[in-house]
Amino acid sequence: MVRASIVVEISRTLSEILVCPLSKQPLRVCEKSNSLISDAIGVSFPIIDGIPCLVPKDGKIIETPTDDDSLDTKQCA
Amino acid sequence: MRRRSFCTAENVDGNLQSSKVHIFDRHLKCKQRDRDAWLINQKDSLVNTVADNLLYRLEDVNKTFPTTLCLGGSLEAIRRSVHEQGGIEKLIMMDSSHDLVKLCKDAEKDLSSDNIETSFLVGDEEFLPIKSSSVDLVISCLGLHWTNNLPGAMIQSRLALKPDGLFLAAIFGGETFKELRIACTIAHMEREGGVSPRISPLAQVRDAGNLLTRAGFTLPGVNVDEYQVRYNSTLELIEHLRAMGETNGLVNRVKFLKRDTAVATAAVYESMFAAEDGTIPATFQVIYMTGWREHESQQKAKRRGSATVSFRDI
Repeated sequence: MVRASIVVEISRTLSEILVCPLSKQPLRVCEKSNSLISDAIGVSFPIIDGIPCLVPKDGKIIETPTDDDSLDTKQCA
Repeated sequence: MRRRSFCTAENVDGNLQSSKVHIFDRHLKCKQRDRDAWLINQKDSLVNTVADNLLYRLEDVNKTFPTTLCLGGSLEAIRRSVHEQGGIEKLIMMDSSHDLVKLCKDAEKDLSSDNIETSFLVGDEEFLPIKSSSVDLVISCLGLHWTNNLPGAMIQSRLALKPDGLFLAAIFGGETFKELRIACTIAHMEREGGVSPRISPLAQVRDAGNLLTRAGFTLPGVNVDEYQVRYNSTLELIEHLRAMGETNGLVNRVKFLKRDTAVATAAVYESMFAAEDGTIPATFQVIYMTGWREHESQQKAKRRGSATVSFRDI
């Protein structure tokens, strides 16, 4: 299956000042899921139309990866 | 629009308890703002006037604010009004409605002639996703009166500011929509024998100073302006409120506003407040708040007992 590559562009300005809305810890960009990950609480926030959505209710709890996915999710989990 | 000196406020105290009072249905508010993103009237003179007034205050301040966080409310009005004031270089635009943020972002290409770098994000003022001590200025034009936890949102704004950073906000005050409030109450009591909240509790002028100091801001300042907007009919007033994203978002709302009551409200409003020429006035009271993040360079009252001169000697 050919996966279209999504270019996730977070401006430098935003990447320097955005943090997780709940834990206030730094966020990490995950290109695979086009989201920002808060490792501190294990939640991912989507980036829609290039706009980060950091409202708590938009956050999704990251599922613990199974063994099959361990290679794919190396970047994200 | 005519300006009037403000009169004394009514007795509404909504958001000041420390326990979390859930007055606003933020989710519904968000959906309303999404819908209303498409109704925004660029020529809304009230909103533009408030935005201009807010930014005007920057000209009195002997400081520049290169990185500015703009909180939702009337984002687009602020964006359009920003020019040279305050030396703003980077503008971070945040609102809880994705549609509104997208609208602003798309409108950006028409404004690309100035040198301001804009960034966009969707976020909640009560859960601010901004690193502490990272911005020079936080500005909010007619947005904070919708928060359930206004002191909390203000504290978060303060923490996002660098030392000696400035917080500038305009919110609607308690006198706003007083005519509508009265008309609603009367109509409701006549029709349904009870009163349900239709108009959100708003901060009073006297509360604004407390809010600022409680949030830890130094050198707090509060100003009030009152505007009277004239409409051709009550329907037009409601349309304007919808366009401003300000319609009923209260949690304890009655599911359906009965049509009879709505019609009665319009009738009461018109009979009580209509001007001789048939136009309907509505009061908008705007409270402007300023506060600073603490810094050693700021003036502070001296410690008690440290006086070196007695009043007797003066």
